[in-house]
Amino acid sequence: MPERVKTDMGGATAALDCDAELMLRVKEGDGASFGLLLEKHRSPVVHFLYRMVQNQAVAEELAQEVFLRVYRSRSSYEPTAKFTTWLFRIATHLALNSLRDGKNERLQERLDNDSSGMPARQVSDNRPSVEQRMVYRARLEEVRQAVAALPEKQRAAVLMHKYEELEYSQIARVLRCSESAVKSLLFRAYETLRARLAHMA
Amino acid sequence: MKCPIETRENAELLLAYCARKLDAESTATLERHMEICPACREFADGQRAVWEALDAWEAAPVTQDFDRRLYRRIDREVSWWNRLLRPFAPAFVRQGLPIAAAACLVVMAGVLLQHPAAAPPVAQPQSAQVEALQPDQVDHALDAMRMLGEFNYRVRGDAADSKM
Repeated sequence: MPERVKTDMGGATAALDCDAELMLRVKEGDGASFGLLLEKHRSPVVHFLYRMVQNQAVAEELAQEVFLRVYRSRSSYEPTAKFTTWLFRIATHLALNSLRDGKNERLQERLDNDSSGMPARQVSDNRPSVEQRMVYRARLEEVRQAVAALPEKQRAAVLMHKYEELEYSQIARVLRCSESAVKSLLFRAYETLRARLAHMA
Repeated sequence: MKCPIETRENAELLLAYCARKLDAESTATLERHMEICPACREFADGQRAVWEALDAWEAAPVTQDFDRRLYRRIDREVSWWNRLLRPFAPAFVRQGLPIAAAACLVVMAGVLLQHPAAAPPVAQPQSAQVEALQPDQVDHALDAMRMLGEFNYRVRGDAADSKM
Protein backbone atom coordinates (compact mmCIF):
# COMPACT_ATOMS: atom_id res chain seq x y z
CA MET A 1 0.00 0.00 0.00
CA PRO A 2 2.95 2.43 0.22
CA GLU A 3 2.43 3.46 -3.40
CA ARG A 4 -0.84 5.04 -2.30
CA VAL A 5 1.02 7.53 -0.14
CA LYS A 6 1.82 10.15 -2.67
CA THR A 7 4.03 12.96 -1.55
CA ASP A 8 5.41 15.90 -3.42
CA MET A 9 8.46 14.29 -4.98
CA GLY A 10 8.98 16.68 -7.85
CA GLY A 11 10.52 19.42 -5.75
CA ALA A 12 12.83 17.03 -3.96
CA THR A 13 14.16 15.60 -7.22
CA ALA A 14 14.82 19.04 -8.59
CA ALA A 15 16.54 19.98 -5.34
CA LEU A 16 18.72 16.88 -5.58
CA ASP A 17 19.98 17.88 -8.97
CA CYS A 18 20.53 21.47 -7.96
CA ASP A 19 22.36 20.74 -4.71
CA ALA A 20 24.48 17.96 -6.16
CA GLU A 21 25.38 20.19 -9.08
CA LEU A 22 26.37 22.98 -6.73
CA MET A 23 28.46 20.59 -4.67
CA LEU A 24 30.20 19.35 -7.80
CA ARG A 25 31.02 22.96 -8.62
CA VAL A 26 32.40 23.41 -5.10
CA LYS A 27 34.54 20.35 -5.83
CA GLU A 28 35.93 22.19 -8.85
CA GLY A 29 36.86 25.14 -6.64
CA ASP A 30 33.79 27.36 -6.98
CA GLY A 31 33.44 29.04 -3.61
CA ALA A 32 30.26 30.89 -4.64
CA SER A 33 28.43 27.56 -5.02
CA PHE A 34 29.38 26.68 -1.46
CA GLY A 35 27.85 30.01 -0.43
CA LEU A 36 24.61 29.09 -2.19
CA LEU A 37 24.46 25.72 -0.45
CA LEU A 38 25.13 27.39 2.86
CA GLU A 39 22.42 29.96 2.25
CA LYS A 40 19.88 27.26 1.41
CA HIS A 41 20.65 24.73 4.13
CA ARG A 42 21.92 26.89 7.00
CA SER A 43 18.59 27.34 8.75
CA PRO A 44 17.27 23.77 8.33
CA VAL A 45 20.52 22.34 9.68
CA VAL A 46 20.71 24.73 12.65
CA HIS A 47 17.02 24.22 13.46
CA PHE A 48 17.31 20.46 13.26
CA LEU A 49 20.36 20.51 15.53
CA TYR A 50 18.68 22.92 17.92
CA ARG A 51 15.70 20.61 18.30
CA MET A 52 18.04 17.66 18.75
CA VAL A 53 20.31 19.15 21.44
CA GLN A 54 17.92 21.91 22.63
CA ASN A 55 20.65 24.47 23.03
CA GLN A 56 21.09 27.25 20.48
CA ALA A 57 24.82 27.86 21.01
CA VAL A 58 25.65 24.16 20.81
CA ALA A 59 23.40 23.77 17.77
CA GLU A 60 25.20 26.57 15.92
CA GLU A 61 28.59 25.18 16.86
CA LEU A 62 27.58 21.77 15.55
CA ALA A 63 26.14 23.31 12.39
CA GLN A 64 29.46 25.07 11.78
CA GLU A 65 31.16 21.70 12.06
CA VAL A 66 28.65 20.21 9.60
CA PHE A 67 29.42 22.82 6.93
CA LEU A 68 33.12 22.64 7.66
CA ARG A 69 32.99 18.89 7.02
CA VAL A 70 31.07 19.46 3.82
CA TYR A 71 33.75 21.90 2.70
CA ARG A 72 36.56 19.56 3.70
CA SER A 73 34.97 16.66 1.83
CA ARG A 74 34.50 18.61 -1.40
CA SER A 75 37.40 16.95 -3.21
CA SER A 76 36.09 13.45 -2.54
CA TYR A 77 32.39 14.27 -3.02
CA GLU A 78 30.43 11.91 -5.25
CA PRO A 79 26.68 12.45 -5.73
CA THR A 80 25.70 8.91 -4.78
CA ALA A 81 22.87 10.09 -2.52
CA LYS A 82 20.76 13.21 -2.26
CA PHE A 83 22.79 16.12 -0.92
CA THR A 84 20.34 16.68 1.92
CA THR A 85 20.63 13.04 2.94
CA TRP A 86 24.39 13.39 3.16
CA LEU A 87 24.08 16.72 4.99
CA PHE A 88 21.63 15.38 7.57
CA ARG A 89 23.68 12.25 8.04
CA ILE A 90 26.62 14.43 9.09
CA ALA A 91 24.36 16.59 11.27
CA THR A 92 22.70 13.60 12.95
CA HIS A 93 26.05 11.94 13.59
CA LEU A 94 27.39 15.10 15.25
CA ALA A 95 24.21 15.64 17.25
CA LEU A 96 24.15 12.09 18.58
CA ASN A 97 27.84 12.31 19.52
CA SER A 98 27.25 15.63 21.25
CA LEU A 99 24.31 14.23 23.20
CA ARG A 100 26.34 11.21 24.29
CA ASP A 101 29.38 13.29 25.23
CA GLY A 102 27.84 16.10 27.24
CA LYS A 103 24.30 15.20 28.01
CA ASN A 104 24.28 16.12 31.68
CA GLU A 105 26.00 19.47 31.40
CA ARG A 106 23.73 20.67 28.66
CA LEU A 107 20.64 19.34 30.35
CA GLN A 108 21.54 21.45 33.37
CA GLU A 109 22.15 24.45 31.15
CA ARG A 110 18.78 23.91 29.50
CA LEU A 111 17.04 23.79 32.81
CA ASP A 112 18.85 26.89 34.00
CA ASN A 113 18.07 28.82 30.86
CA ASP A 114 14.84 27.40 29.58
CA SER A 115 14.15 30.33 27.32
CA SER A 116 17.35 29.90 25.30
CA GLY A 117 16.60 29.94 21.61
CA MET A 118 12.93 30.40 22.20
CA PRO A 119 11.57 33.07 19.91
CA ALA A 120 9.10 35.49 21.33
CA ARG A 121 5.87 34.28 19.80
CA GLN A 122 3.75 36.90 18.16
CA VAL A 123 0.05 36.68 18.80
CA SER A 124 -2.66 38.64 17.10
CA ASP A 125 -2.12 41.97 18.80
CA ASN A 126 1.70 41.60 18.81
CA ARG A 127 1.72 42.12 22.58
CA PRO A 128 0.79 38.91 24.35
CA SER A 129 -0.43 39.23 27.88
CA VAL A 130 1.59 37.81 30.73
CA GLU A 131 -0.89 34.99 31.05
CA GLN A 132 -0.71 34.15 27.33
CA ARG A 133 3.06 34.14 27.49
CA MET A 134 3.03 31.84 30.49
CA VAL A 135 0.59 29.42 28.83
CA TYR A 136 2.65 29.45 25.66
CA ARG A 137 5.88 28.81 27.56
CA ALA A 138 4.33 26.00 29.55
CA ARG A 139 3.02 24.32 26.40
CA LEU A 140 6.30 24.80 24.62
CA GLU A 141 8.21 23.36 27.53
CA GLU A 142 5.92 20.37 27.49
CA VAL A 143 6.58 19.81 23.79
CA ARG A 144 10.33 20.19 24.26
CA GLN A 145 10.39 17.77 27.14
CA ALA A 146 8.28 15.24 25.27
CA VAL A 147 10.64 15.38 22.29
CA ALA A 148 13.73 15.30 24.51
CA ALA A 149 12.39 12.22 26.28
CA LEU A 150 12.27 10.25 23.04
CA PRO A 151 15.13 7.84 22.40
CA GLU A 152 17.78 9.55 20.25
CA LYS A 153 17.03 7.72 17.00
CA GLN A 154 13.28 8.20 17.35
CA ARG A 155 13.87 11.87 18.06
CA ALA A 156 16.06 12.30 14.99
CA ALA A 157 13.50 10.45 12.85
CA VAL A 158 10.59 12.58 14.09
CA LEU A 159 12.48 15.84 13.57
CA MET A 160 13.55 14.91 10.05
CA HIS A 161 10.03 13.69 9.23
CA LYS A 162 8.09 16.55 10.80
CA TYR A 163 10.26 19.63 10.27
CA GLU A 164 12.60 18.79 7.41
CA GLU A 165 10.02 16.73 5.51
CA LEU A 166 12.57 14.12 4.51
CA GLU A 167 11.22 11.00 2.83
CA TYR A 168 11.31 7.64 4.58
CA SER A 169 14.08 6.47 2.26
CA GLN A 170 16.19 9.53 3.12
CA ILE A 171 15.67 9.11 6.86
CA ALA A 172 16.61 5.46 6.45
CA ARG A 173 19.87 6.41 4.78
CA VAL A 174 20.63 9.04 7.39
CA LEU A 175 20.04 6.61 10.24
CA ARG A 176 21.57 3.68 8.33
CA CYS A 177 18.57 1.42 8.67
CA SER A 178 15.79 0.07 6.49
CA GLU A 179 12.70 2.00 5.48
CA SER A 180 10.51 -0.36 7.45
CA ALA A 181 12.69 0.28 10.51
CA VAL A 182 12.15 4.03 10.02
CA LYS A 183 8.38 3.55 9.79
CA SER A 184 8.50 1.52 12.96
CA LEU A 185 10.64 4.17 14.70
CA LEU A 186 8.23 6.90 13.68
CA PHE A 187 5.18 4.93 14.65
CA ARG A 188 6.55 4.31 18.14
CA ALA A 189 7.78 7.88 18.51
CA TYR A 190 4.42 9.40 17.53
CA GLU A 191 2.68 6.92 19.77
CA THR A 192 4.72 8.22 22.72
CA LEU A 193 4.12 11.82 21.70
CA ARG A 194 0.37 11.22 21.34
CA ALA A 195 0.29 9.84 24.86
CA ARG A 196 2.07 12.92 26.19
CA LEU A 197 0.68 15.69 24.00
CA ALA A 198 -2.78 14.65 22.83
CA HIS A 199 -4.39 16.63 25.67
CA MET A 200 -3.04 19.83 24.10
CA ALA A 201 -5.60 19.66 21.27
CA MET B 1 -10.49 -0.65 2.98
CA LYS B 2 -8.47 -2.60 5.51
CA CYS B 3 -8.13 -0.75 8.81
CA PRO B 4 -4.74 1.03 8.80
CA ILE B 5 -4.51 0.88 12.57
CA GLU B 6 -4.47 -2.91 12.48
CA THR B 7 -1.39 -3.18 10.31
CA ARG B 8 1.60 -1.11 11.28
CA GLU B 9 2.80 -0.94 7.66
CA ASN B 10 -0.36 0.92 6.78
CA ALA B 11 -0.15 3.31 9.70
CA GLU B 12 1.92 5.56 7.47
CA LEU B 13 -1.36 6.31 5.69
CA LEU B 14 -2.68 7.86 8.85
CA LEU B 15 0.61 9.72 9.48
CA ALA B 16 0.56 11.08 5.94
CA TYR B 17 -3.11 12.01 6.29
CA CYS B 18 -2.45 13.98 9.48
CA ALA B 19 0.53 15.68 7.83
CA ARG B 20 -1.75 16.56 4.87
CA LYS B 21 0.55 14.72 2.50
CA LEU B 22 -1.93 12.15 1.28
CA ASP B 23 -3.36 12.48 -2.22
CA ALA B 24 -7.02 13.36 -2.65
CA GLU B 25 -8.18 9.88 -3.56
CA SER B 26 -6.52 8.20 -0.57
CA THR B 27 -7.74 11.00 1.71
CA ALA B 28 -11.33 10.43 0.65
CA THR B 29 -11.04 6.66 1.15
CA LEU B 30 -9.50 7.07 4.57
CA GLU B 31 -12.08 9.61 5.70
CA ARG B 32 -14.87 7.26 4.65
CA HIS B 33 -13.21 4.54 6.71
CA MET B 34 -12.79 6.80 9.73
CA GLU B 35 -16.52 7.50 9.81
CA ILE B 36 -17.06 3.91 10.85
CA CYS B 37 -13.77 3.25 12.69
CA PRO B 38 -13.42 4.94 16.11
CA ALA B 39 -9.85 3.61 16.57
CA CYS B 40 -8.62 5.34 13.42
CA ARG B 41 -10.55 8.47 14.33
CA GLU B 42 -8.93 8.56 17.75
CA PHE B 43 -5.51 7.95 16.20
CA ALA B 44 -6.00 10.77 13.72
CA ASP B 45 -7.23 13.21 16.39
CA GLY B 46 -4.28 12.44 18.63
CA GLN B 47 -1.83 12.66 15.76
CA ARG B 48 -3.28 15.99 14.64
CA ALA B 49 -2.83 17.32 18.19
CA VAL B 50 0.80 16.20 18.18
CA TRP B 51 1.31 17.82 14.80
CA GLU B 52 -0.09 21.13 16.01
CA ALA B 53 1.92 21.00 19.22
CA LEU B 54 5.11 20.40 17.25
CA ASP B 55 4.18 23.24 14.89
CA ALA B 56 4.17 25.59 17.86
CA TRP B 57 7.82 24.80 18.57
CA GLU B 58 9.56 27.40 16.48
CA ALA B 59 13.32 27.40 16.28
CA ALA B 60 15.23 30.60 16.90
CA PRO B 61 16.69 32.38 13.87
CA VAL B 62 20.33 31.69 13.13
CA THR B 63 22.66 34.33 14.54
CA GLN B 64 23.79 36.91 12.01
CA ASP B 65 27.50 36.20 12.24
CA PHE B 66 27.11 32.47 11.54
CA ASP B 67 28.52 32.73 8.00
CA ARG B 68 31.34 35.04 9.05
CA ARG B 69 32.41 32.61 11.78
CA LEU B 70 32.23 29.69 9.39
CA TYR B 71 34.26 31.40 6.67
CA ARG B 72 36.83 32.48 9.25
CA ARG B 73 37.23 28.84 10.28
CA ILE B 74 37.53 27.77 6.65
CA ASP B 75 40.11 30.49 5.95
CA ARG B 76 42.06 29.55 9.04
CA GLU B 77 42.08 25.93 7.99
CA VAL B 78 43.08 26.69 4.42
CA SER B 79 45.83 29.12 5.42
CA TRP B 80 47.11 26.65 8.03
CA TRP B 81 47.50 24.00 5.36
CA ASN B 82 49.06 26.43 2.92
CA ARG B 83 51.51 27.64 5.52
CA LEU B 84 52.41 24.07 6.40
CA LEU B 85 52.87 22.89 2.83
CA ARG B 86 54.37 26.04 1.25
CA PRO B 87 58.04 25.39 2.12
CA PHE B 88 57.75 21.73 1.19
CA ALA B 89 55.71 21.81 -1.98
CA PRO B 90 58.43 22.82 -4.54
CA ALA B 91 61.11 20.84 -2.73
CA PHE B 92 59.01 17.67 -2.88
CA VAL B 93 58.75 18.02 -6.62
CA ARG B 94 62.50 18.47 -7.10
CA GLN B 95 63.98 16.37 -4.37
CA GLY B 96 61.33 14.42 -2.54
CA LEU B 97 63.54 11.52 -1.56
CA PRO B 98 66.26 13.43 0.35
CA ILE B 99 63.63 15.37 2.24
CA ALA B 100 61.75 12.22 3.11
CA ALA B 101 65.03 10.69 4.28
CA ALA B 102 65.83 13.78 6.34
CA ALA B 103 62.37 13.65 7.84
CA CYS B 104 62.88 10.00 8.75
CA LEU B 105 66.21 10.87 10.41
CA VAL B 106 64.57 13.63 12.39
CA VAL B 107 61.81 11.26 13.48
CA MET B 108 64.35 8.59 14.47
CA ALA B 109 66.43 11.12 16.38
CA GLY B 110 63.28 12.28 18.11
CA VAL B 111 62.37 8.72 19.05
CA LEU B 112 65.88 8.08 20.41
CA LEU B 113 65.86 11.30 22.38
CA GLN B 114 62.46 10.43 23.75
CA HIS B 115 63.83 7.33 25.51
CA PRO B 116 67.05 8.27 27.33
CA ALA B 117 65.68 6.64 30.46
CA ALA B 118 65.93 3.27 28.74
CA ALA B 119 69.72 3.26 29.43
CA PRO B 120 70.71 1.36 32.59
CA PRO B 121 71.04 3.59 35.64
CA VAL B 122 74.56 2.31 36.45
CA ALA B 123 75.96 3.56 33.15
CA GLN B 124 77.93 6.43 34.72
CA PRO B 125 80.25 4.37 37.07
CA GLN B 126 80.89 1.87 34.27
CA SER B 127 82.09 4.53 31.84
CA ALA B 128 84.39 5.97 34.56
CA GLN B 129 85.89 2.53 35.02
CA VAL B 130 86.50 2.13 31.32
CA GLU B 131 88.24 5.48 31.17
CA ALA B 132 90.58 4.46 34.07
CA LEU B 133 91.55 1.22 32.35
CA GLN B 134 91.88 2.70 28.88
CA PRO B 135 95.76 2.67 28.58
CA ASP B 136 95.90 -0.98 29.60
CA GLN B 137 93.17 -1.85 27.18
CA VAL B 138 95.01 -0.06 24.38
CA ASP B 139 98.18 -1.99 25.18
CA HIS B 140 96.29 -5.27 25.15
CA ALA B 141 94.63 -4.38 21.90
CA LEU B 142 97.95 -3.48 20.29
CA ASP B 143 99.49 -6.75 21.48
CA ALA B 144 96.58 -8.68 20.14
CA MET B 145 96.82 -6.93 16.78
CA ARG B 146 100.54 -7.58 16.62
CA MET B 147 99.98 -11.26 17.38
CA LEU B 148 97.21 -11.46 14.83
CA GLY B 149 99.48 -9.88 12.20
CA GLU B 150 102.24 -12.39 12.93
CA PHE B 151 99.76 -15.22 12.83
CA ASN B 152 98.44 -14.08 9.42
CA TYR B 153 101.97 -13.70 8.10
CA ARG B 154 102.85 -17.25 9.17
CA VAL B 155 99.64 -18.73 7.85
CA ARG B 156 100.24 -17.09 4.44
CA GLY B 157 103.83 -18.38 4.47
CA ASP B 158 102.66 -21.90 5.26
CA ALA B 159 100.08 -21.73 2.50
CA ALA B 160 102.69 -20.56 -0.04
CA ASP B 161 105.02 -23.42 1.01
CA SER B 162 102.27 -26.01 0.62
CA LYS B 163 101.42 -24.69 -2.92
CA MET B 164 105.04 -24.99 -3.99
